[in-house]
Amino acid sequence: MTSRLPEPFGALIDRSKPVSFSFEGRNVQGFKGDTIASALLANGVTMLSRSFKYHRPRGPLTMAGHDGNTLVQIGSEPNRQADRVPITSGLKVTGINYWGSLEHDRFALLGKVDRFLPVGFYYKAFYKPRWMWPYWEKLIRRVAGLGVVDLHSHHGYFDKEYLFCDVMVVGGGPAGLESALAASDAGGEVILVDENRMLGGSLNYARFDAAGERAKIERARLVAAVEARSNIRVMTETICNGAYSDNWYPLVRGNRLYKLRAGETVIAVGSYEQPLIFRNNDVPGVMLGSAVQRLIRLYGVKPGSRAVVAAANDDAYGVALDLLDAGIEVACVTDLRSDPPSAPLADAVLKKRVPVVAGSTIYEVESGSEGRGVRAVRLAKVTSEGQAAAKGDSFACDLVAVSTGYAPMAPLISQSGGTFAYDAASSMLAICSLPDHVIAAGSLNGAYALDATLEDGRRAGFEATRNSQPASAAVPTVRADKGAAGITYPFPIFSHPRGKDFVDLDEDVQVKDLEHAMLEGYEHIELLKRFTTNGMGPSQGRNSSMPAVRLAARTLKQSIDATGTTTSRPPVMQVKMGHLAGRSFEPVRYTAMHFRHLEAGAKMMSAGLWMRPEFYGDHARRAELIRAEAKNVRENVGMIDVSTLGGLDVRGPDAAEFLNRMYTFAYTKQPVGRSRYVLMTDQAGVITDDGVACRFHDDWFYVTATTSGVDAVYRQMLWYNAQWRLKVDITNVTAAYAGVNVAGPNARAVLQKICTDADLSKEAFPYMGVREATVAGIRSLLLRVGFVGELGYEVHVPASEGEALWDALMEAGKESGIRPFGVEAQRVLRLEKGHIIVSQDTDGLTNPLEADMAWAIAKTKPFFVGMRSIEIQSKQPLTRKLVGFEITDRTQPMPKECHLVVRGREITGRVTSITDSPAVGKIIGLAYVALDQSEPGKTFEIKVDGGKLVSAVVVKLPFYDPDSKRQEL
Amino acid sequence: MSLNPIDRRARSFLYRELMAAGASFAEINGQACAMRFGSDSLAELARARAMAICDLSPLRRTGYKGWATAEWLAAQGCRIEDAPNRVYGQDDGARIARLSRGEFVVLSDLAQSTTLPDRLDGAWSIASANGCFRVPRTDSSAWVVITGEHAASMFAKVCGVDLRPHTFVNHSIAQTSLARMNAIICRSDIGGTLAFDVVFDLASSVYLWGAFLDAMQEFGGKPVGLEAIRTLAGV
Repeated sequence: MTSRLPEPFGALIDRSKPVSFSFEGRNVQGFKGDTIASALLANGVTMLSRSFKYHRPRGPLTMAGHDGNTLVQIGSEPNRQADRVPITSGLKVTGINYWGSLEHDRFALLGKVDRFLPVGFYYKAFYKPRWMWPYWEKLIRRVAGLGVVDLHSHHGYFDKEYLFCDVMVVGGGPAGLESALAASDAGGEVILVDENRMLGGSLNYARFDAAGERAKIERARLVAAVEARSNIRVMTETICNGAYSDNWYPLVRGNRLYKLRAGETVIAVGSYEQPLIFRNNDVPGVMLGSAVQRLIRLYGVKPGSRAVVAAANDDAYGVALDLLDAGIEVACVTDLRSDPPSAPLADAVLKKRVPVVAGSTIYEVESGSEGRGVRAVRLAKVTSEGQAAAKGDSFACDLVAVSTGYAPMAPLISQSGGTFAYDAASSMLAICSLPDHVIAAGSLNGAYALDATLEDGRRAGFEATRNSQPASAAVPTVRADKGAAGITYPFPIFSHPRGKDFVDLDEDVQVKDLEHAMLEGYEHIELLKRFTTNGMGPSQGRNSSMPAVRLAARTLKQSIDATGTTTSRPPVMQVKMGHLAGRSFEPVRYTAMHFRHLEAGAKMMSAGLWMRPEFYGDHARRAELIRAEAKNVRENVGMIDVSTLGGLDVRGPDAAEFLNRMYTFAYTKQPVGRSRYVLMTDQAGVITDDGVACRFHDDWFYVTATTSGVDAVYRQMLWYNAQWRLKVDITNVTAAYAGVNVAGPNARAVLQKICTDADLSKEAFPYMGVREATVAGIRSLLLRVGFVGELGYEVHVPASEGEALWDALMEAGKESGIRPFGVEAQRVLRLEKGHIIVSQDTDGLTNPLEADMAWAIAKTKPFFVGMRSIEIQSKQPLTRKLVGFEITDRTQPMPKECHLVVRGREITGRVTSITDSPAVGKIIGLAYVALDQSEPGKTFEIKVDGGKLVSAVVVKLPFYDPDSKRQEL
Repeated sequence: MSLNPIDRRARSFLYRELMAAGASFAEINGQACAMRFGSDSLAELARARAMAICDLSPLRRTGYKGWATAEWLAAQGCRIEDAPNRVYGQDDGARIARLSRGEFVVLSDLAQSTTLPDRLDGAWSIASANGCFRVPRTDSSAWVVITGEHAASMFAKVCGVDLRPHTFVNHSIAQTSLARMNAIICRSDIGGTLAFDVVFDLASSVYLWGAFLDAMQEFGGKPVGLEAIRTLAGV
């Protein structure tokens, strides 16, 4: 390791614990606590990546995860930030976005033809001739993009956790620490969140006095006090990644996304140090002053041997002093201000006889081969803000540190609803309004001088707990001069005739790119952003937004407020898809017999949240098995798990009246012990659900609903009765019952074997009858229904006894050859019987008249939901009708559900259900057709895959057992 | 010798999970209840104090709802107050969770010494319902208890309600979403140990059981048997 500084430099590293990892296949040694970037820099590796567009060499800019220069690939994970990810033994790190190698990237040639690749060139090229697009697309996909996504990589484990507190403080710097302490004084719960590994913020790396002691003292005091408070929970390495309404914040730490709800929030996240724009400002070795300080103080890395410092405030002189302390020669300080004021740090630098060139800026960086590092800096005299005269003296150096100003870290304030306005005195945006329960503190709030920052933190913590403070308690005061004035240079942009003066390093946007875009009319700041992609890269404009705003304001000759800023949206920082996606909860509901289905080899399918058997057996024999299951029901006996069917207890003296209003049929005179079909429509007369209502008592109906529709039906029932106020109670008992439908000519014989207290004969228990009985020793509700068109009994038992019922029925039916059948066989059987499935054979517009279900509408009752609409519809001519059809020509391809019914160029309907019926021996189905196509015997055409037309004939329903003798056996 | 759950008609939806985790069963209310896991009862008790889940589905419970339910329950000798979302203890150890003005869940005690659920169900009939209707909670709802000092932290991973002990006081009820499923959470500490009864959709038992085990893994949480819970309760 060639560039390590001795202790006390390197607060984050543990020199006793060396760590090896690889970068681009080369072994690299670092220490525990190093980031990838700090370890590489310590080993003299300054180029970490290639730029997005021109593939220029890039190195760290901020050392805080605030730039896109440090994106690397770690194993199968692309776009990790090398200046944030700690090294671990064996880590395999590679560069991204190159063709060849990071050192020798063939795409770097693009930088030489940049005049042909202005921003937006892709909007104006490639689209013609049209036949060329496939070629362009291939090339663009090859060139564009960062990193490589490994679609086969192991899924990581990510989860979520909810957090609550009275006060959340975001930012563990001096203001945040003071805020947390002040809020803690009131006794509430405080959560202090900081993105870094170590509390202290700028106190960890910045210099506030010439001796360099003040930061250490303040940090030690504050951190010790915070750690001593039991009501402050400290969450370091945690990113507050957005602000949502009602003080809801997503916090990202490790592989967990915390969802925090705070009573009050203090945002003390600080400021972004801002770059200075000049030619070749992107060359590795050009860094923000704060990045240089982080490298020295946090990682003990000597980032160069001879430096030039660009200054426009006293902080820059702190950087120069740190460089000197680290044994790095400071070739000069070039101060953009023509007459830098006397200040403690500047005075200390002068005392050390460092050359200070006032009124001067960096004009350009002269780089080594292919821009891989800084060789020298050429200065130029500043003639006015953002204007420089001809180039001046050159200073040989290998490091450029830039400290010319700041911008508040605005995203969390903006996302929570706060607003900013430009403050000419400080040349920065300043908060002008905050939403309730959000308080800003520290440099984000314009407090830059350390004493002002500490005072502002105390003030914010007090305000956050104001309701808990004695009425007489005074708000802590903050000095009037908070040190913001003059800390930021008003126009830190010095364009160069030869370009490469990058405003946005992520997207390689140069000054001329923004100027040209405005000339083309993209003057609005949001349009300018999108056309140029300035601020749209990984660093989301942290370093480029304000320069672009300043440029736009100057070019358009308007104020910065009139120019405006772009909209800030979450996430604030990078977020992994895993945080957003996982751990995702995907609820699933199993019936009591679920595992019996699995044991029988069922292929399961989703039905809403439920899992249902689609069919039983080998998937390769799917069609054959479904036909066999259906055949066994027609000729023998089968059983199907119908537990997922919705079940609603409707009870009370007004139960019948309630059903009369909710459903189209009539129920007031329905006898006890009988069931009746129910058809539900909405206020527009559209069919929404169906089932049967079983009357077990004058005041008790057990109503079934479709598997996927029952929750909506239940909600509708509650909603309507909240208005009607009928004396009725509605309870969703779907999960309370397990249900089995035993169907087929031998169903009675099988069921009677284990039903000891009920006569199941046709006379004693006729079709559509309902009763209570004991089956296999289990108290049951029996329903004689016929959805599949055969003699059948639905047996409903308490869910906990469902598996025992299933076992008993299988045993009882063993001799008869009973076998379970799945949803697919049931679909075939019900289609043969001409029964619709709501939401398959109906859509969001189907009314009962179109579905040929006028028979299910009671004509004499005064009201039901949807009645008025159906009355109106009945007076209009139908435009379509649901009909049964058959296809006898087996040489034709079989249509599929949703294939269109066409007449010439007109679409008259669609197929809703279709099957090759084992019982009928034909292809049969249901379809919507035009009214004049709906009479039995009419033919119509179905357009199948590939455009071929298949002829079908309308037939009368049902297809099977037209007299319904079999279900009434 | 442990009872085999399939030897009884009524079965907890979780019996396979419990068997896989090594449960020993005994009969309670006609079905197999997981009484212990392994032979180290002290370790199981320690787990119950730290972070554990126990299937109470075999224990008796019932429910009632309707506009005259509070009056009917009072007439049956139940002690309930007006405030909803509170658990009201009964003299015989049963607990009545008042979910709203007109909806109640009746949970039996851990020792199964109370007869209240059976007594209420015996007294009720549709013919005499008169504004109070039975809800088959034993069959519509699974019942587990989550115990231990880490319980609230575990809930924070699956539930958006603040269930920390100092904000969600003993006998509070939250009717909310747990891992995206509706659930009733009743805080009912057991012998000084933080505990939450969770009553939820029976058909989601396997799903939610898995979600709980996953969430409690970082706290060392595992299933415990009813014996450990009874020991916590001192019964």
